[in-house]
Amino acid sequence: MLYINCPHCGMRSQNEFSYGGDASVKRPLLNKEVSDQEWDDFVYNRKSLRGKHLELWHHISGCRQWIKVERDTSTHEIFRTFKADEEVV
Amino acid sequence: MTQNFRVKNGGLINRDKKLSFTFNGKSYFGFEGDTLASALLANGVHLVGRSFKYHRPRGFFGAGVDEPYAIVQLYRNGETEPNIKATEQELFDGLEAKSVNCWPSVNFDIGAVNNFLKIFLPAGFYYKTFMWPKSFWYRIYEPLIRKAAGLGVASTKHDKERYEHKYEYCDLLIAGSGPSGLASAYAAAKNGAKVILAEDKPRFGGTLLTSDVNISNLSGKDWSEAIISELKEMPNVLVKNRSQIFGYYDHNMLVMSEKVSDHLPKTKKYHPNKRLWYIRAKEVLISSGSIERPIVFGNNDTPGVMLSSAAKEYLKVYGVLVGKKPLVFTNNDSGYETAIEFKKNGVDPVVLDTRKNPNSEIIDEAIDLGIDIKFSYVVVAAQGYKKVKSADIASISDDKKKLGKLESFECDCICVSGFWTPTIHLASQSGNKTIFKEEIDAFVPGKSKQNETTLGAANGIFSLEETLKTSFEAGNELSKKITKTDKKISVPNVVEKKSSQHDKFWCVPLPKGKNYKRFLDFQNDVAVSDIEIALREGYRSIEHVKRYTTLGMATDQGKTSNLNGLQLVSEIENKVVPSVGHTTFRPPYTPVSIGAIVGREVGKHSKPTRKSPMHLWHEKNNAVFVDAGVWLRPRYYRIGNETLFEASKREAKNVRSNVGVCDVTTLGKIDVKGPDAVEFLNRVYTNAWLKLPVGKARYGVMLREDGIVMDDGTTTRISENHYHMTTTTAQAANVLSHLEYYLQLVWPELNVNVVSTTEQWAGAAIAGPKSRDLLQKLFPKIDVSNEGIPFMGFTEEDLFGVKARIFRISFSGELAYEVNVESDNGNFMWEKIIEKGQEFNIQPYGTEALSTLRIEMGHVAGSELDGRTIPYDNGLDGLLSKKKDFIGKRSLQREAFVSENRQRLVGVIPIDKKTSIPEGSHLVKDAKAPLPNPKLGHISASCWSVEYDNPFSLAILKDGKNMIGEKLFAMSPLKNKIIPVEIVSSHYVDPKGERVRS
Amino acid sequence: MQKYSVFNLIKNAFSNHEKWDLAWKDPSPKKEYDVVIIGGGGHGLATAYYLAKEHNITNVAIIEKGWIGGGNVGRNTTIIRSNYMHDDNGLFSEFGMDLWRRMSQDLNYNVMFSPRGIINLAHSDAQMNVYARRGNSMRLNGIDAVLLNREQVKEIIPMADFSENVRFPIYGGLMQPSAGTARHDAVAWGYARQADSMGVDIIQNCEVIGFDVSAGKINGVRTSRGDIKAKKIGLCVAGSTNILAEKLNMTLPIETHLLQACVSEPIKPVLDNVVTFGAGHFYISQSDKGEMVMGGDLDGYNSYAQRGNLPTLQHVLTEGIAMMPFLSKLKMLRTWGGIMDMSMDGSPIIDKTHIEGLYLNCGWCYGGFKATPASGWTFAHTIAQDRVHELNAGYSLNRFNTGFLLDEKGLGTKTWIS
Repeated sequence: MLYINCPHCGMRSQNEFSYGGDASVKRPLLNKEVSDQEWDDFVYNRKSLRGKHLELWHHISGCRQWIKVERDTSTHEIFRTFKADEEVV
Repeated sequence: MTQNFRVKNGGLINRDKKLSFTFNGKSYFGFEGDTLASALLANGVHLVGRSFKYHRPRGFFGAGVDEPYAIVQLYRNGETEPNIKATEQELFDGLEAKSVNCWPSVNFDIGAVNNFLKIFLPAGFYYKTFMWPKSFWYRIYEPLIRKAAGLGVASTKHDKERYEHKYEYCDLLIAGSGPSGLASAYAAAKNGAKVILAEDKPRFGGTLLTSDVNISNLSGKDWSEAIISELKEMPNVLVKNRSQIFGYYDHNMLVMSEKVSDHLPKTKKYHPNKRLWYIRAKEVLISSGSIERPIVFGNNDTPGVMLSSAAKEYLKVYGVLVGKKPLVFTNNDSGYETAIEFKKNGVDPVVLDTRKNPNSEIIDEAIDLGIDIKFSYVVVAAQGYKKVKSADIASISDDKKKLGKLESFECDCICVSGFWTPTIHLASQSGNKTIFKEEIDAFVPGKSKQNETTLGAANGIFSLEETLKTSFEAGNELSKKITKTDKKISVPNVVEKKSSQHDKFWCVPLPKGKNYKRFLDFQNDVAVSDIEIALREGYRSIEHVKRYTTLGMATDQGKTSNLNGLQLVSEIENKVVPSVGHTTFRPPYTPVSIGAIVGREVGKHSKPTRKSPMHLWHEKNNAVFVDAGVWLRPRYYRIGNETLFEASKREAKNVRSNVGVCDVTTLGKIDVKGPDAVEFLNRVYTNAWLKLPVGKARYGVMLREDGIVMDDGTTTRISENHYHMTTTTAQAANVLSHLEYYLQLVWPELNVNVVSTTEQWAGAAIAGPKSRDLLQKLFPKIDVSNEGIPFMGFTEEDLFGVKARIFRISFSGELAYEVNVESDNGNFMWEKIIEKGQEFNIQPYGTEALSTLRIEMGHVAGSELDGRTIPYDNGLDGLLSKKKDFIGKRSLQREAFVSENRQRLVGVIPIDKKTSIPEGSHLVKDAKAPLPNPKLGHISASCWSVEYDNPFSLAILKDGKNMIGEKLFAMSPLKNKIIPVEIVSSHYVDPKGERVRS
Repeated sequence: MQKYSVFNLIKNAFSNHEKWDLAWKDPSPKKEYDVVIIGGGGHGLATAYYLAKEHNITNVAIIEKGWIGGGNVGRNTTIIRSNYMHDDNGLFSEFGMDLWRRMSQDLNYNVMFSPRGIINLAHSDAQMNVYARRGNSMRLNGIDAVLLNREQVKEIIPMADFSENVRFPIYGGLMQPSAGTARHDAVAWGYARQADSMGVDIIQNCEVIGFDVSAGKINGVRTSRGDIKAKKIGLCVAGSTNILAEKLNMTLPIETHLLQACVSEPIKPVLDNVVTFGAGHFYISQSDKGEMVMGGDLDGYNSYAQRGNLPTLQHVLTEGIAMMPFLSKLKMLRTWGGIMDMSMDGSPIIDKTHIEGLYLNCGWCYGGFKATPASGWTFAHTIAQDRVHELNAGYSLNRFNTGFLLDEKGLGTKTWIS
């Protein structure tokens, strides 16, 4: 079971969280012309690669904050976690 | 029967407590502290079961978790359990056990005919045959094979035992209480670390219980007892016996299964049968020791052939002789230790050593004791069917290829030692890439992957002195990092006998003209010849070999067979062992009780049950409940002998003519607050929200980004910046997460907060033409007219002293109100409604009547909003704002979604106005068309219209917009129904919506 | 090629089984092939077989990073069914059922196809209606389906929980009697053996490093065992699709996820059918060896690890006991994990791509095994004819753009919710 460092609450077991997918996907701005490609990339297309993966987790049985987690998809090792509004460099 | 094979003295059993047990119906005695295996052996019983494929006789091979074949059916306290390893089952008074996989009995087993057919049944034989005639596989062959396979018999009764879970956090988790486990635990504990030490056997100490060593002037056993009793006293240490750590999972989470009650005749009151521990450890020390591996020779599966370490354990721990004429067959010094124990107990063993002239202290001791030793000798084959009677032995050439003349040697057991295989399972499960260590012919853990450190024999270190030294160090170092305390323990003085190099020899060649089966995997009957066939046919990767031959796939998971299998493959393929590689080690290390894994969440508790505050009232009033997700909702309230159909019709009719009340507490409720709340709603819902005044509610639809309808419900503006959103029961949790996602990640600039208030409010919908009159009775002081509370109006009022919210919203299509009070007052509200409603003939109605009411009004619900439909399909396209953007809007432009003949909600009436259309029927043009018959749509919901007293259904129909008036067929082949129908508007009752506004 | 039969088995017994041929050879790659199939799993092997058998294209190589059959064809729960609601899924799978029924004979390799029937349990009337919709759709598509009531279910699987102490009582179920199981490894090996005998090169331990694409056309593939030229290349690597797609600068509507399964210790026959739980996600059958084969939810996050965590299995087995309480007394013997392509509507993709000569077969979610023959057959057709067959027309890549989705569960793009 993963052990996730919630930036708001500290180390918590995975069963307090629900998964939210690729965090690098950005929603196109509202009220803006969006091409098919851009829209499909947002809604459907995912890189989902082996190795470092920046992803969203939702601390649903905790602080209910969405957080970003940098995790290795081949080993499940977690490197860093971020608050929702933190920029990841 | 007397315990003829029990030695007079010695062993760790309690000879004062005699226990009786039966095996295959026959009564025996053993002692407290015995295992079923040791007790049977004490009684000279060696025949335990039959093998999987050839039904060859099977006895005992090991003395613990590695046991490949002593598997029994256990009977305990009126229950039965299959596939129990006799070597692990502790004896209790009244234990009953039976052999498995044999018929009619273990002594005379019909299935043994396979043993004579074995030349026709090589590895993979079933892939090559049973193909003709075609239907025979399923009808004839497979049932026969299935019947022959399987081991024990499962009881299909419900399990009465209780299983518990426990979660623990510790600094150091130590797996195994042998020398390395004890030393590291002791050192870490002295530094103040929180330590958990787990031992799978009943007794702590591991090999210290059986080896002839001296630590700090104490015997190994006494030293281990001293350490354990000290550890037990320390508040920062938890020692657990009968506890197997079986899995090393991500982020240093390990799982342990504790057998709490299996050693007792029955589980004590308030005790669980087993306890599963999820343990998150900062550091993990793997001190799981090693397992002796056999040398492979002919008929090496005959009962009486066993590991030499097992023979020693039976003698030293249980005081049991596994034979009185033992032959020890070894390629290393370990066999001598067993021989010496025999000798000390007055039995004369003969040792066959594959080595030419080994030299060591222990061999000298054996020679001094007068033990007969034959060097450069091997066992070629065991003889005897149900028990070893003799062994064919021979000298072997220095290159180990040629055998000398066969000699027959009379013996009653063969104790075999092919050196030691470190138990690397946990390390490997952690992700550690193992490395092959030439000196010991086995794999050891490589670089640590998680926070695991492997010690002692598990790490390929077989000297006690070195094990203790490195283990004390590791315990100290790892705990020091955590506790910042450094109380170094000096390594005790160790006296042990030095060993000489083992012989890299693991398989005895076949003598000319003999075709003995030489088994690798005893339970699955995988022999050397099977591996040879697999490789010959091109199944060359170790995974292919494993799958083709089933090597290592039995319930012992190849603990004694895998490495020998690898050696064989490497020899035939002419590759070094590490490049053959081993198959992946996965949890569990040893089979784990499914009951223990699941714990308490069984029966009614397998999922939570949510009930509304009015639940007891519903129960008292004959409600029949239905599961709505995890909620229980009244489906209908039964009067007399009413059926569901009759009751729901009555309830719905009463709503249409008088007034009804329905518990709507389960609806999801979310408070949306903040200065930007309205802007947020405007983005979340498809329709416009900016102009909603305070005190008004609005119906809204929200989409997923892919344009599919996610949920619908009403949202009410309670005050300037405070909105009360309702969701469907099913989607409540998803909608909240969805809103939080957008607020926190997509539009953090919006100043809005959302919180679930589902549990804060109890809700009752009062619906029907007399609902206004009832409302007036409930709230005598307020103006309930259309002006006072208009359609979609909202107000907060006092309900006989409790705060209430009144919403004028309707799902039933009737004039209706929804009253909410704080949950604690829910029952009060409900009873008041019932009381005040008496004069208007109020009746409670359940979800079934609710369905009827919404269906004949053409309101969509879960069966239409099924995660595949867009607003247009549900006739909700009027709610799509053209002026603003919203979640999912962009997706609605897609080709399929704007297609001319897009599916749409319609009403369906059977032409005979009598035949109800089963839900899930499909609409077709031609009921007699050849299959596949093109489907135009499906019936999503059906009811008996109480308004018109005939069946009415909703359907989602291709080109529904242009189909009104068409005649089609509703087909339900499952129910053998073909019903001619007419397509009508989905708004069957009150199409103009006048009632809700009346 | 040697024929496998009981006569040959007896014959070979007398020569000590020393005269069996290789099931497949282990050649080195040639410089060029007409078609290269990437991925030596069930689908890749089947594709090569049908290219040779149906289209007479035999200058074909299958290149496999590890050993054939080591991916999901060797780590699934062997369920074979065509009980789908959507026409595209139903008709495709039913075509596959026909291939399954004659597979042992076609391949001369006993894949042990066992049509023991699958029962999806329902725990409410609403669920019965959902199943009726699916079952009726199946029947109208010519697929067998039976709606069972509670008593009928009890007759077939009496060990399911029909007691009072049950959270979600059984209302009934949808049964497809012709569904079943097969011996998964045998499917891979059987296809490999036949493909090999028709001239297909099965090249193991050969990893794809990159592709040779120019002017919108594929020219070949670069591998750890050298460059291989081919004008047609089929990608058949479900579980690793995203990794190869990246090498082609493609981003696909697929996430890679982890699914675990487990077996109990073997017991004497107790369950004849495949059964699924309706108030959660759990399925079970009993193998010929006697092991109860069980699976359920994904671990629920992107993963290539092939190793999962216990809480997922705990959750799955909780539903198992809720359905069949007797499982509590059994022991879990083995667990394993597979990585899979989770497509964004739960249905697969078998299609051409924007690169000429490059064909895509992916997105199988957890339903790849049953599709092996139909997938191979239609993919071979798509490659050989350079156009999709009507059976896989619905499995287009651009359906995510057009909105012609095939979402059996109505869960949308959150692939990790299973």
